[in-house]
Amino acid sequence: MSSVCAVIPVKDGERYLDELLDALVREGVDEILVIDSGSRDRSREIARAHGVEMIEIDPRKFAHGRTRNLGAERTSGELICFLTQDATPCPGWLDAYREAFALAERVGAAYGPHLPRLDSSPMIARELTEFFAGFETHRPPGGDGARGPTLQRAGDPSFLSNVNACYARACWQEIRFRDVGYSEDQAFGADMLAVGWVKVYHPGAAVLHAHDYGAIEFMRRYFDEYRGLRETTVHVEAFGVRDTARHVLREVAADRRWMAERGLDRTTRARWSARAASHHAGRRVFSALGSRSQRMPAPLLRGLSLEKRAQSPSAAALNGKHAGAESVEPALADTASPVAPARPIGQKLSGEVYDVIAQVWREGAAPLLQPVPGMSERERLRLAMVIPPFNRGSGGHNTLFQIFTRLEQRGHACSVWMADYHGYARSVWPATLRREIQEYFAPLQGPVYKGFADWQGADVAIATGWQTVHAMLQLDHCRARAYVVNDHEPEFYAASTEHELAADTYRYDLHCIAASPWLRDQLSERYGASAEAFQLGVDHDTYHPRPVAREPATVIYYARYATPRRAVPIGLMALAELKRRRPDVRVVLFGTNEVLDASFPYEHIDVLSPTQLSWLYSEATVGLCLSLTNFSLMPKEMLACGLPCVELAGISAESIFGSDGPLELAPLDPNRIADAMQRLLEDREAWQRRSREGVDFVASHTWDHATDEVEAGLRHALREREREGVTIG
Amino acid sequence: MSDVQTSGELELQAEVERLRARVAALEAELVEVQERANASVAEWQERAYWLDRWHLDLNALMRRPGAAELRAAVRVVRDVVRAFRRAKRSLSRS
Repeated sequence: MSSVCAVIPVKDGERYLDELLDALVREGVDEILVIDSGSRDRSREIARAHGVEMIEIDPRKFAHGRTRNLGAERTSGELICFLTQDATPCPGWLDAYREAFALAERVGAAYGPHLPRLDSSPMIARELTEFFAGFETHRPPGGDGARGPTLQRAGDPSFLSNVNACYARACWQEIRFRDVGYSEDQAFGADMLAVGWVKVYHPGAAVLHAHDYGAIEFMRRYFDEYRGLRETTVHVEAFGVRDTARHVLREVAADRRWMAERGLDRTTRARWSARAASHHAGRRVFSALGSRSQRMPAPLLRGLSLEKRAQSPSAAALNGKHAGAESVEPALADTASPVAPARPIGQKLSGEVYDVIAQVWREGAAPLLQPVPGMSERERLRLAMVIPPFNRGSGGHNTLFQIFTRLEQRGHACSVWMADYHGYARSVWPATLRREIQEYFAPLQGPVYKGFADWQGADVAIATGWQTVHAMLQLDHCRARAYVVNDHEPEFYAASTEHELAADTYRYDLHCIAASPWLRDQLSERYGASAEAFQLGVDHDTYHPRPVAREPATVIYYARYATPRRAVPIGLMALAELKRRRPDVRVVLFGTNEVLDASFPYEHIDVLSPTQLSWLYSEATVGLCLSLTNFSLMPKEMLACGLPCVELAGISAESIFGSDGPLELAPLDPNRIADAMQRLLEDREAWQRRSREGVDFVASHTWDHATDEVEAGLRHALREREREGVTIG
Repeated sequence: MSDVQTSGELELQAEVERLRARVAALEAELVEVQERANASVAEWQERAYWLDRWHLDLNALMRRPGAAELRAAVRVVRDVVRAFRRAKRSLSRS
């Protein structure tokens, strides 16, 4: 049989201490420890008279969790019972605990009901009785009809009360009480269940218990209790005037029913009803105040707290307020951790942000459907494009929707699915998303879905950004998968999770359809991906030379500072150099709402519509648009309007335009970029050649052509499946 | 023997062709069904635009306490208005 010890923290507890210690002896507890924290009544005498072990501690060092840990350390029983000084065990208490620990493996703690004493107020008596009745379960059929113990595991209520509880020493050693001012038992209950221990509520392990407080003391106690709950479980008690009024009426009515059932006369019922109203109302107010006590000044906290606590014990330990006290006991000094208690944080998300990636890494991609012969050549395909969230003006999304709407017009059954890990589009519902796509990019006719709850399968599922790939890999009922790659996205990030995850997306044997030959080569050479290229198109209906005179010596610069790959500081240095050489040059920055600080005067234009841009390109003398990764749409659109453009050499532009094509290329050097701009401003012949060649060059770069190339890529993905797979027929 | 084999092969070939044609027809039907489903959802999204824009879920709204009562009250008011109009019409006729 397990040895049992009992630990009782005491302060001025003479009223019930004698009968409590008698009851423990009667129940057969092997070892009793009283921890006195500065009693001024006969408590210590009573403890000595019973011959129990007693230690005395500085009352300033008392804390519910810390002191009970000390008690557990100073005892040796395999089962450790904690009782408060006003809780008297009823007959059969210890047997019930022994039964509780024999109920299952890994029972770490057990607790029993608190029965009201005869002189308890009706409110407290009812509350205790109804509260503990909620934990009871019926014994199995054929039993004696009495209510039996209840096993509680993770997911069940974590309630535990050190007024009357018993712990397996192994469990206490693993969990230990947190060093918190209050509710150390509740925290322990939650902590133990979380790591797989089980607890038991046993109705036979009852104690007589009552809080002998006056009305004001009750309120201050509730303040402490809910302050402790906030510290340990981050529970915040809701409060509202109407709710409180309803709550008080309901509780007083229940108290009156309780009193009537027990035969109290009308006068007594009326007297207690008034007290009950103030009790329940005060409780709500002080509970709410306790939950919100963190910002209260120390004097107010001391005034409201029954324990006169101005701060949590751990905070006190941290700021050393009591650390220098002369009467610090060695054992307490050892147990008072200088580390602030870890703050429990509730669940905020349904899963981690990139949970879907972990799933793909764990389980792999969903299997593809068996290929059907000739599927790559069917006139009409079912295409599902998975996109990341977007903003107005997103170049990548514009490319996607220019192409996708054209695929739609060619008769393919197209749908759009948004993968939104971060919840950026949380507040935008699907019909609104669809309208935004139509307004910002292209006249999409098909449906738009958020998430994949309604996924219906597809001939080709198309990923369109690194954030969409893992979600797309999980989609089932697909014949093939493809990846439209607008840019080498790992380069968007410094060394980071995102950098690695973006690179990971190129390693799933997806057929990549890349937005330039340079990007295609990156994908195949660096990652071994199957890849082909398409050329970004130009909307020639919008981007063409407008009937407006070109302004002399005007440089326009796409200064999107928020996009690091645009190398805006380099561009600004180049413009500063140009202004130093040619102060007469007019500089216009556009493409961002952010007004940038520069060392030279310039003009700023916010984000413009495509039509407005075409007019701007038609008026300016030189365009400047830099990209440290893949080539973007903007230089092509400038060229289509007859505007010579300066871009960076040695990155991706040569793969489209060649080294001496219509673009003026310059290395990543502000002076050399300034040279290129100055050349175009001053060499009329060179300007005219670039302008003419630019218009001619991009004439064949249409979205229809881009759509041809992407469609060929999608069919290639299907054809590869036909080749590699088992075929039907 | 060779004739039998040739005839069997031909039959098999014909069966394969028939199955291929059937698969192609089913595939075309699948695209058709998908397109109709897409069109229905898109049409619904077109109609529901302002509800989505204002985050109004009418089903959820009508499940809220008091919604059924409000609807019943509106019905009562509507019936009263109709009765009043009917009475007015009959009075003006007479």
